[in-house]
Amino acid sequence: MAKDELQGALDLLILKTLARGSVHGYAIAQRIQQVSDDVLRVEEGSLYPALHRMEQADWISAEWRVTGTGRRAKYYKLTAAGRKQLVHEEEAWSRVAGAVAKVLRFA
Amino acid sequence: MRLWKRLRSLVGRSAQENELNDELRFHLEMKIDQNIAAGMSPDEARYAARRAFGNAGLKREEARTMWGWNWLEHLGQDLRYGLRAMRQSPGFTAVAVLSLALGIGANTAIFSLVDAVLLKTLPVQDPQRLVALSWASKGWPEGVLNGLSGSMYPDGAGRNVSPSFSYPLYEQLRSQNHVFSNVLAMSGNSSELNVGYRGEPGRANGQLVSGTFFDTLGVLPALGRSLSPDDDRADSSPAAVISYGYWDRRFGRDPAIVGKTITLNSVPFTVIGVCPQEFFGVQPGKAVEVWVPLHQQPRVEPRWSPRADPGNAASTARSSLFEARKRWWVVMVARLRPGVSEQQARAEAEVILQQSIASDVKAGTKPETLPHIQVTAGSKGLDDLRRQFSKPLAILMAVVGLVLLIACANVANLLLARGTSRQKEMAVRLAIGARRSRLIRQLLTETVLLAALGGLVGLVLAFWSTDLLVAFMSSGSDPVHLTVTPDPWVLGFTAAVSILTGILFGLSPALRSTRLDLTPALKESSREPAMSSGRRARRLGIGRTLVVAQVSLSLLLLVGAGLFVRTLTNLEGVNAGFNERNLLLFGINPTQDGYKGQRLAEFYQELLRRVAAQPGTRSVSMSGATLIGGGFSSMSTFVQGYPPSQGDKDGGVSAYNNDVGPNFFETLGIPLVLGRTINDRDTSAAPKVVVVNQEFARQFLGGSPVGRRLGFDGKKSSGDYEIVGVVAGAKYDDLRRDVPPTVYMASLQDPDGLGTMHFEVRTAGDPNQMIPAIRRVAQDMDSNLALFDVRSQVGQIGETLFQERLFARLTGFFGVLALLLGCIGVYGVMAFAVTRRTREIGIRMALGASRREILDMVLRETLLLVAIGIALGVLAALEASRLIASLLFGLKPNDPLTIAGAALLMVAAAVFAGYVPARRASRVDPMVALRYE
Repeated sequence: MAKDELQGALDLLILKTLARGSVHGYAIAQRIQQVSDDVLRVEEGSLYPALHRMEQADWISAEWRVTGTGRRAKYYKLTAAGRKQLVHEEEAWSRVAGAVAKVLRFA
Repeated sequence: MRLWKRLRSLVGRSAQENELNDELRFHLEMKIDQNIAAGMSPDEARYAARRAFGNAGLKREEARTMWGWNWLEHLGQDLRYGLRAMRQSPGFTAVAVLSLALGIGANTAIFSLVDAVLLKTLPVQDPQRLVALSWASKGWPEGVLNGLSGSMYPDGAGRNVSPSFSYPLYEQLRSQNHVFSNVLAMSGNSSELNVGYRGEPGRANGQLVSGTFFDTLGVLPALGRSLSPDDDRADSSPAAVISYGYWDRRFGRDPAIVGKTITLNSVPFTVIGVCPQEFFGVQPGKAVEVWVPLHQQPRVEPRWSPRADPGNAASTARSSLFEARKRWWVVMVARLRPGVSEQQARAEAEVILQQSIASDVKAGTKPETLPHIQVTAGSKGLDDLRRQFSKPLAILMAVVGLVLLIACANVANLLLARGTSRQKEMAVRLAIGARRSRLIRQLLTETVLLAALGGLVGLVLAFWSTDLLVAFMSSGSDPVHLTVTPDPWVLGFTAAVSILTGILFGLSPALRSTRLDLTPALKESSREPAMSSGRRARRLGIGRTLVVAQVSLSLLLLVGAGLFVRTLTNLEGVNAGFNERNLLLFGINPTQDGYKGQRLAEFYQELLRRVAAQPGTRSVSMSGATLIGGGFSSMSTFVQGYPPSQGDKDGGVSAYNNDVGPNFFETLGIPLVLGRTINDRDTSAAPKVVVVNQEFARQFLGGSPVGRRLGFDGKKSSGDYEIVGVVAGAKYDDLRRDVPPTVYMASLQDPDGLGTMHFEVRTAGDPNQMIPAIRRVAQDMDSNLALFDVRSQVGQIGETLFQERLFARLTGFFGVLALLLGCIGVYGVMAFAVTRRTREIGIRMALGASRREILDMVLRETLLLVAIGIALGVLAALEASRLIASLLFGLKPNDPLTIAGAALLMVAAAVFAGYVPARRASRVDPMVALRYE
């Protein structure tokens, strides 16, 4: 389970971040790091493969826009399928987290 | 949608590549900005950002993996890289591709024969629904069968099997069965026909077939119409169908041939159709050129097998083959009705057969001695060729398989040696983040590419050699016509073999050269391997194991080749009992032009006189069967006063017999031992005489043979012939068989029994130079008669040895090839070892070892490897050669001389191969060697 679930966790973090609006890859990594108080750092080596995989799966779509500093950047946003996937992943995560919590309490 | 995206990502590859680069660069720039904002200098900021970012190439690679076309992209890269690597080492590439091409080419060539002989289905409609009928019985089916034309052979279970049936059974089967939609019958023997067209004689391979032949097979004519049941009645007007090939060769594809008249054995026939190009009949290897309705048999082949039932010769000749229940001569192929299984068909055909023979079965006959129907798949046609060649082809396939293994071992060895020089490259690539699986895949792509190139060259070699192989399979009297074409099966086989060999010889070197200790590999020079000493031993170990395997396989093939070559020389050295030099043979059948009885005898006497008068003729005679021609005649012979005790039921003994003309023994050079030979006074007017050979006299006569009497038509006939002479033994049909007890009759004493005769002309010079003169003599006597089987006696004996020659040549060739590849292997591994031990050798010499000692040291090592290989090879040869025991003559499969000879040859070749590197080792200059690294 471990590997799938961890990958599921990265997908969930990205999807959740994108649920608030369209952003580019760098911003996704930054936001996850800030919101988690520097506990979760997303490696570039994991981030971009994940983004490209989710794009292939049609959960997210991308377009090129110019940033505030005048640079071209690739902005990602959720698709309808991505929203459904987010709900699904959130449920899955709470179930696993709940299960882990139970084990920690009673084992 | 997803698929579309994937496809787009394949097509818009470079645009997407640029986007990915842009995206990652943006990420990096944002990081740099952030670092500057945190107070770093721009340079520091850039450096820190890059360090945090890590291996950009690897990241790109990982993101790209998500696009899903990576494998294709990698394949392209690997192929490009592989081609580049090949160009960089052309010597290595040439040796590797050549060894593989020889190995794969040999396999493809033999497999294309296997394909043509064993695998191809008939070019007819829905061949899977065709079945061939045959019968099997224990022993000869007493009472129900008097004469059999066609083939008969033992199956593995002690029964006789034959595909020949009586014509009445064919009629019954056709009218009474509910399992076949159609049944065809044809003569079991195809026959050479004299074909006249516009007054010119020629010969063609003809077959008598029922009117249902083409309908049953579903073969539609390319031109005109095919035979129908209406053409196959006793009163039908004579019609014939010709093959496409014959139409091409003889008639220049004249479309107006349909409706024209040709003569077959002097009987006029109308050509009604031409078969499609690919159709050759139903016997693979035998190309029929003219198909004639069965009911034309009395006109085309009036004297068919006249002596098959000598006791009954007169009655058989009178009763038609189409009514005789006990003459079995037609072969049947049937088409199953839809939904009917082979078992159902067999059951019903069996009932019809038993009904057909019931009235001839004597009471108390055991059921297993009666014939029982067998139904076999007919999709590949009749199985004569398959029976004859399936074992030889299996052996050859095994031989070429071993050659390919040796070639693989060779290339693997070369790759191992090359792997050492590429270690640094591998180390660098591993260090900058290449995964091991990726490198292995790339190395395998390279080796498969090598194998594919080898396969392509091999394919060319194979198609050069297949015509030669088919020619090897033919003996002049029994030519094999096979169209060996590069069909999908053969191409698929070659492709599969190439890829498999690529993986086979590439896997171990690939695994080995990517298992590295990185740091030393990068630090040290490419010559010194970056491995612990244990690993080094193992690597040399694998090379040595490969060489031992090569030597043992090569020895196995050499022993096989030696056995076959010695079999051939044994056979060629057999004393046939007559002088085969300067002897010209030809056959003639004047009965085809209406000669019979006394007129026929006079024709032969005149022909003998005219040939004898030719300059260059020393003497001439004739006989029913030529010697060492594969054909023979054998009859129950009743000798007066033998056996002494009347134990046997009828007292007949089995002996070979031959009808011979005057001067036969003088012409062939068979020495007379007692009495006199047969001369030109032995005619129908004189008392009937025979000459027997010493073998006959020894077994059945005893005492003084001359003057004793014998006969051929039961006990009461044993006074018919007087034995007037005894001659020395001469081989009859086959060099391999011992001289059989033989009775020679005087052919001119029985004009009514005369048929086809073969002439033997003893010439003063080269017999082949007499051929035009002899043809002229025959033409002058009757221009309608063509000579056949015209060849020298030496040539005829050669033809009966064709299979032995085939084996001797092919296994000899492959044996030498294996020896060569084995030597390259020995040379390669020893040269490699010497290079790696240069420093050690230098030290030894510095410490006082002489050149001689170094030479001995390396040679000793070579010999040790070769000795192990030979020991294993001898063990394998002792096991494997038992499989070919039945193909050998005059020696045992474990023949010590052959094995010793092969081992000696192997040692000599290996020492030669090992001497070159050993000499190089002994020439090492210690000063240079010590500074070597």
